[in-house]
Amino acid sequence: MPNVYVQTVDEVSEYSQLSAWRSAGRIDRLYVGYGATVAGIVVLSYLLGALKWLPHDPDAMDLGAMMAGPLTGSYLLGTDFLGRDLLTRLILGIQAYFLPGLAAISIALALGSLLGVAAGYRGGRTDAAVTYFTNLIDALPRLVLMLLVIAAFKPQIYTIMVVLGITTAPTIATMVKGKILMLKQRNFIESAVALGLSPPTIIFKHILWHNCRALLLIQATIGMAEAVLIETSLSYLGFGVQEPTPSWGNMIQAGANYLLQGNLWSSTAPALAILLTVLGFHLLGDGLNNIFEGKRQR
Amino acid sequence: MSAQPLLRIESLRTYFYSRVKEAFIRSVDGVDLEVARGETLGIVGESGSGKSVAMLSVMGLVTAAPGIITGRVTFHDDSPRELLAGLDRLVTVERRDGRIVSVAKDDRAWAAQAERNLRGVRGGKIAMIFQNPRAALNPFETVGEQIAEAIRLHTGLKHPAQAKERALHWLEQVRIDSPRLRYANHPYGLSGGMCQRAMVAMALAAEPRMLIADEPTTGLDATIQARIVDLLADLKARLGMTMVLISHDIGVVGRLSDRVAVMYGGRVMESGPASEVLGGKGDGHPYTRALLASMPRAENVQGKGRLPAIEGEVLDTINTPKGCRFLARCQRIHDGVRARCAEAEPELAEVAPGRRVRCWLYQS
Amino acid sequence: MAAVLSRELAMTALLLAGVTFVAFLILFLAPGDPFAALLGGRTLAGAERDAAYAALGIPRTWYGQYFAWIGNVVQGEFGISLRTGQPVARELATSGVRTLFLTLGSLAVTLAVAVPIGAYAAVRPASGRAWALTMSAYVVSALPTFWLGYIAIYVFTRQLGLFPILSGTGEAQEHAWLYAALPVVLLGLGSGALSEVVRYVREEVSRVLAEEYVRTARAKGASLWRHVYKEGLLLPIAEIVASKMPFVLSGAIIVEQVFNWPGLGRLAWQAAQDRDYPVIMAITLAAAVVVRLGSFLHRTVYVAVNPRASHE
Repeated sequence: MPNVYVQTVDEVSEYSQLSAWRSAGRIDRLYVGYGATVAGIVVLSYLLGALKWLPHDPDAMDLGAMMAGPLTGSYLLGTDFLGRDLLTRLILGIQAYFLPGLAAISIALALGSLLGVAAGYRGGRTDAAVTYFTNLIDALPRLVLMLLVIAAFKPQIYTIMVVLGITTAPTIATMVKGKILMLKQRNFIESAVALGLSPPTIIFKHILWHNCRALLLIQATIGMAEAVLIETSLSYLGFGVQEPTPSWGNMIQAGANYLLQGNLWSSTAPALAILLTVLGFHLLGDGLNNIFEGKRQR
Repeated sequence: MSAQPLLRIESLRTYFYSRVKEAFIRSVDGVDLEVARGETLGIVGESGSGKSVAMLSVMGLVTAAPGIITGRVTFHDDSPRELLAGLDRLVTVERRDGRIVSVAKDDRAWAAQAERNLRGVRGGKIAMIFQNPRAALNPFETVGEQIAEAIRLHTGLKHPAQAKERALHWLEQVRIDSPRLRYANHPYGLSGGMCQRAMVAMALAAEPRMLIADEPTTGLDATIQARIVDLLADLKARLGMTMVLISHDIGVVGRLSDRVAVMYGGRVMESGPASEVLGGKGDGHPYTRALLASMPRAENVQGKGRLPAIEGEVLDTINTPKGCRFLARCQRIHDGVRARCAEAEPELAEVAPGRRVRCWLYQS
Repeated sequence: MAAVLSRELAMTALLLAGVTFVAFLILFLAPGDPFAALLGGRTLAGAERDAAYAALGIPRTWYGQYFAWIGNVVQGEFGISLRTGQPVARELATSGVRTLFLTLGSLAVTLAVAVPIGAYAAVRPASGRAWALTMSAYVVSALPTFWLGYIAIYVFTRQLGLFPILSGTGEAQEHAWLYAALPVVLLGLGSGALSEVVRYVREEVSRVLAEEYVRTARAKGASLWRHVYKEGLLLPIAEIVASKMPFVLSGAIIVEQVFNWPGLGRLAWQAAQDRDYPVIMAITLAAAVVVRLGSFLHRTVYVAVNPRASHE
């Protein structure tokens, strides 16, 4: 299958350069498009849930239509084992992770940037201390630490998300520090200092905004995917939102016994929701990464 | 009586495609070269002239797309071998006004075909050494092991002890200090000059018919450069090597080459015996003349007070002009030829036996 | 080499000390009295409580408690489970072995699946097959592990008519290996590490293939993989084992829940429910030790492969 390369214009201006989006491959545009759509749906659903603009009452049990499949009557996605509308509960399930996820991301980005800047900008002993601290956090598996926190404090979602944020910060710190070291190697920071720019300006405007914003954005997308997985896993384990409040995790847990008996849908619908959402955020991050770095030849 | 050249390159074109600009970078744009047995051909030119890419194309080391799109490379080993055989089947080229505007190439099949063509040739018949020798050696293996590998691959010596002895022999040939010690060193423990000597040893240990040296002295300290040049001259004299030497340093090329080709903008502008091309008698291509005048030598500076630079910028290989490529920077142009220079590109025509120049000043 | 490794060991010791401190701190900051259960249900306060604790040998100050606990831990004494009344150390050992089996097995599965996919995607970047494989890995990683587990159980018990899953006991011997294999394979595919490993291997192999020394190897006519495997395969695999260990341990908690696998994960879940502090603290420590062991292994491989590292 031959690859075709075409030059469309006779004269190419020295300065002409297609935007990153236009020169991006079809796949990356697909990824970003899909991911952005998912993100949009998540935000929209969050708003619908917050405003209670839902197709059905999430707790209303229709005992005449239990375990119904999709497109049964007014139940677009069917019902669960108590006759409750699945679509409504799926929409509400977003409440469980959306704001807490944003909280986790904010903490991760803030703490991570702080540590990364401290380590990269100052170096020396600050660097050693930050490295020790990040290695310390990395040494604890996330869920184990969360169970410890749950044992100590009550299973509160925001506490959990704080832990998620803190455990994600080391990755960001390492990346930011790496960027700063690269900028230092290119004498970027030296020049900025020589120009008389103040440290806050250098750090916030030049380092973080101009040079790190792409990687921070991508880490935010990955962070949201993580938040979904963590929240649903904990709800599944019984530590997240409790019945009757819906979470995609506890919906799967509740439907588990029925699944083993052959009624797959009430557990599979939330699983697919998780799949599409997590995949969306991952692909969004992947696609944005490739576009920003100008990679991928397709 | 002219014997068959060891290597002949005809109409080689290697293009790269920039997705960001949606245009071709015409790195090698129709190159014809010949290397006779036992001679050293020097290829000289500025960065971006395509000299390295041309030789990398011969060795099949060009990976970016679309890569080689036209050309014929014949290697006269014991029997002639076409190194680009099968190329025409897999590439379709579309032209407009004589310029290539579209290329359809089956990259995967072509790469497979190239591998088939080059098997046994790469390393065994034609060896290549590169710029930046420390990065070009495997950092995870000892220097000696890498030389021994070349020996085991391409000579009859398969036994490890024999290969090691031969590798040590070659380390001595390249006049590296303490060969036994250096054999066991890793590249990070060697200086740039020593790494380059080791690379030369590794290339020659395979006993190739020809050596391609791509900017072997660039990046080394000035004194080390001179020593490497001496080494290559010594090896050339003792072993009768056939060599292609690529460099932007005219001094290096002049010292080692029998014949010289001057490249600009992806094409050969002038070729001929080194003494004539680099002799500076003013009967060659204007570009060569300007290059020679810009070298930091006494005769270029005395009486003038400053070193003449070549005006203008290196040719943009994306927008190659319709007429002569050197037109914008040519100092020897005059009204009599100006119209022709802008209109059409001259052929590489013979102006004296063995000497060819691509310039309207010498053609009617 | 020995110098680098002993420095690494010292760092590990320091980090584990830090872990114990963090764990203890969390416990200390918790509302309620961690030792209340030891009072046997009586609610005492003030001097009475202090006396009761003193009688039980519990130090008064927080640092006293911390050092007492550390002292015990170092001797292998992890205390008594608040739920079962049994020594924690014994339960830790038996459950630990089962979880270790799960963890190491699933890492092997992840590597066996992800490394070839990543390498293939690096060597044939534009091929449709590479994309399909990579996307499959992404999809599997995005699915919730617990749901996958139930589906797997459903398929194996219902559709294939095998015995229901028994928790690692000796019954149904002829299918016993399958019951062990299922959670291992599931964790290997579903721990979320799969997609990251594919991505990482693809990046690393691509990067190494573009290195100058690889071009020299090509020019030499040498076997490409012989020159690429150290930096393109060995080092990335060591890095993956070290960095994915925490993920796999977290995933084990989920998988053990689904399959009723009597390992540390299920023990931790139980301890979190019951607020069984000695157990959860011990498990936290054990997890940190395993993770650090992975890091140490990685460092060893790095130093062994990289000639420059021994001299840093």
